[in-house]
Amino acid sequence: MTPLAAILAREGRIRATNLLFIFWDVLYPLGYLLVFGVGMNHAMRFPAGSPMEDYNAFFLAAVLGMASFGIASNTAWSFFLDRDNGIFYEMLTYPISRSQYLLGKVLFNIGVALVQAAVTIVLAAWLLDVRIRWDLTPLTAAAVVVGTAGWFFFYAIFALAIRRNDAFNTVTSIFYFVFLFASSMFYPLDPLPAIFRAVAYANPITWQVDVLRYGTTGLGDPALLPIETAAFALFTAASFAGALIALRQQT
Amino acid sequence: MPAPAIEVEDLVKVFSPRGRAPVRAVDGLSFSVAEGSIFGLLGPNGAGKTTTLRILTTLARATSGRATVAAFDVAAAPLEVRRRIAVVIQEQAADLLLSARDNLVAFARFHGLGRATLRRRVDDVLERFGLNEYAGRKVQDLSGGYRRRVQVAKIFMVDTPVVFLDEFSTGMDPILKRSVMAQLTAEASRGRTIVLTTQVLSEAEELCDDILIVNHGRQVARGDVNTLKLLQQGVYEVTMTFEHLPEGIEQELAALAPLRLSITGTTVEMAVKEPESRVLALVSQLSERGRVLRLEVGSATLEDIFIELTSPQPRTENREREPGTGNRDQGTGGTQ
Repeated sequence: MTPLAAILAREGRIRATNLLFIFWDVLYPLGYLLVFGVGMNHAMRFPAGSPMEDYNAFFLAAVLGMASFGIASNTAWSFFLDRDNGIFYEMLTYPISRSQYLLGKVLFNIGVALVQAAVTIVLAAWLLDVRIRWDLTPLTAAAVVVGTAGWFFFYAIFALAIRRNDAFNTVTSIFYFVFLFASSMFYPLDPLPAIFRAVAYANPITWQVDVLRYGTTGLGDPALLPIETAAFALFTAASFAGALIALRQQT
Repeated sequence: MPAPAIEVEDLVKVFSPRGRAPVRAVDGLSFSVAEGSIFGLLGPNGAGKTTTLRILTTLARATSGRATVAAFDVAAAPLEVRRRIAVVIQEQAADLLLSARDNLVAFARFHGLGRATLRRRVDDVLERFGLNEYAGRKVQDLSGGYRRRVQVAKIFMVDTPVVFLDEFSTGMDPILKRSVMAQLTAEASRGRTIVLTTQVLSEAEELCDDILIVNHGRQVARGDVNTLKLLQQGVYEVTMTFEHLPEGIEQELAALAPLRLSITGTTVEMAVKEPESRVLALVSQLSERGRVLRLEVGSATLEDIFIELTSPQPRTENREREPGTGNRDQGTGGTQ
């Protein structure tokens, strides 16, 4: 078995020991769509022609982005579990490179994110009548894959550098608030104050959600997508390098 | 002569904690370990044993110097080194959410074991470590001793040429410890090189073909148990059991500055470094203090040697030199 396959098998085995893991990663984000999304759709009357005319369609990409973000943060948190169990340091003596270790850890969770995205998109189309651009599914899948990996590498930097679980939880809570609300997740950016808009456009989650929104429903500015895609790819590469350095500094 | 499994040259590791003076945890250590041997790295707490092991197992980088394991440089080719080693780290290490069996399987998968071999070996190892009954239980539900069993059992799942064990027997019951020691000896006789650190010196005495005693990151002594004992000729173990413990004997003996002194009930155990005639005179003098039920005078144990070589007392200072030099040595230590 190759090192990557061995890590995948281990991660899968650990996840299989507790179905709650699956609930949090796969089903929990759906709750946002079915409760918050549907609630907003009915409570607010958005003008015709607004990107939020069908809030469920607008919000679908946010749920996918949120899931990527959450799965990545949970995966990074598992470094603490491994460290507490002592297995983290033992694994660093296994015949795997540090980069294989990072990639292996996220690969399984990318799989979970893809399942989550598929379930969410199908249910959005079926229950909420969201019109899905099935022709753009490869773009959506790519955004889920790169998005989950990028956020995992980003969080891994902090999970590896911070030794205290509670400190890491504080950091993730702050990130959750800043990244999710200062972005295009919940509302379009155009009507926002200039400073808010600038912050949101500098936010990698905006880049990911915009690609996801275009990939799922065709909403968004196609001219902006190549820039946002490239920016997110750079963010992922930089985060991977940062995580690798942080992992090497563990030794 | 077979090539050494491990070669270490002038290894230095300096830790520079923020706001504190740098610490030289390993300070110019050089040694080699013969293939198929059991090598013991001994020293008091903070001597640099674990740091040395961490460098050899690619968990830490040396500040300077060079180390090779199975002919691969630990800094230049860490992955090649990791392909050839199995490690039991000092801390408890197991996937608590996985069963004992899955822990062994996961470890073997990382080392690329084929499915058929894996299945056969996992049953054998579970049996050898008395884990059959607990094979399906999550490790988090096992006691500390059983968790350690799972951790140590892993190294018997694979055939890596070099095995590192950092205080492997912590938390093990004596029966299992004995069984593991026998298994380690068997592995060494098959050609595997075993490197271990331990605080239980009788373990090292029984297991190791070759021992390196370190203190403050530097070599203090090197050789097999017999060589080390020769190095410490003139150290005697005296055990006396009195019918009634003579009054004030503890203070009297302490005044003689023995290397080690313990009094349990009416039994006095001490290690002294004195000429033979002086030891016999001392025994004779003590026997006049009360009726002696049992008397034993023997040569030094590894523990005595260890204490003598690593003790911070003034009389043991200046012992951090190459064995074979200085007037206390018998010219036989230091096999490098």
